[in-house]
Amino acid sequence: MSEFNQLKSNVLFETANGYSYQCDLTNSIFINFVGTTSSYKVQDFLIFQRKVNSVLILDMLYDLSDQSDAQLIENTKRNFSRTLTICEIVQLRELLNGTKFTLNLHSLLNVVLTLEEA
Amino acid sequence: MKDLLRTNSSLQEGVENILNLQCKIESDASNKYLAMASWLERNGFENTAGYFYAQAEEEREHFLKIFKYITEVGGIAITPTVGEVQQEFASFKSVFAIALDNEIAVTNAINKVIAKCRLENDYATEEFMMWYVAEQREEEKNARRALELFELIDEDSATGKFELDVQISKIGSAE
Repeated sequence: MSEFNQLKSNVLFETANGYSYQCDLTNSIFINFVGTTSSYKVQDFLIFQRKVNSVLILDMLYDLSDQSDAQLIENTKRNFSRTLTICEIVQLRELLNGTKFTLNLHSLLNVVLTLEEA
Repeated sequence: MKDLLRTNSSLQEGVENILNLQCKIESDASNKYLAMASWLERNGFENTAGYFYAQAEEEREHFLKIFKYITEVGGIAITPTVGEVQQEFASFKSVFAIALDNEIAVTNAINKVIAKCRLENDYATEEFMMWYVAEQREEEKNARRALELFELIDEDSATGKFELDVQISKIGSAE
């Protein structure tokens, strides 16, 4: 039960399609998206987030060919490798950007609180 | 909950981005000097071609120094893409005028990096970048000296171009 509470307290971001949490033991970020869970070191997470953000959604929308309806999304160490539809890419983007926002917010709060303590 | 971002890197995202941009600028500068060296060599200016080959190497070292710094402090260094650079030049003198413009642009970019470091309270990166401030002062001085030599030596005299080629290549070296 305590482990469950610990997990709940480390949740970074949650959407209708997935959630992310931080593991302090392994210094990793876990992303659960459409039923797939993958873990990332911070740098890998940041690279993955940038990669997903760099997908040209508008180009995919305007391209009428079948192959532009979906795109293979892979991270650096390939523990996430899936072909996602445009809608799923937008949803993954929301989850990753929300996670990044929480990490930044947490970092900022740490700096502010540390300064206040000093 | 641990601050994972800070645990992993001392570099803030804004500073990391501007350092990656500086990598691109230094890398581009290296390519521009390489194109200048090529133009000079095929037009018979062997000495100044050598000078620009050395400059190209130097700019690449500047690029690598920042690139390695980013990874050293836990950031993500992005290999810059190779863009198109000017391959043809109107005259011998125009090469040096463009080189000076390029050095001024690099100096401005360095100043922006330092301004960003101060904004983000990143004093370690500011201290690291101070080396570039001194380096750019030297680079600009050398580029200006090259153009100054065009004022001192008549390019259109019998051996003007030859003399300029010899004298410019000596800039920055202990004579």
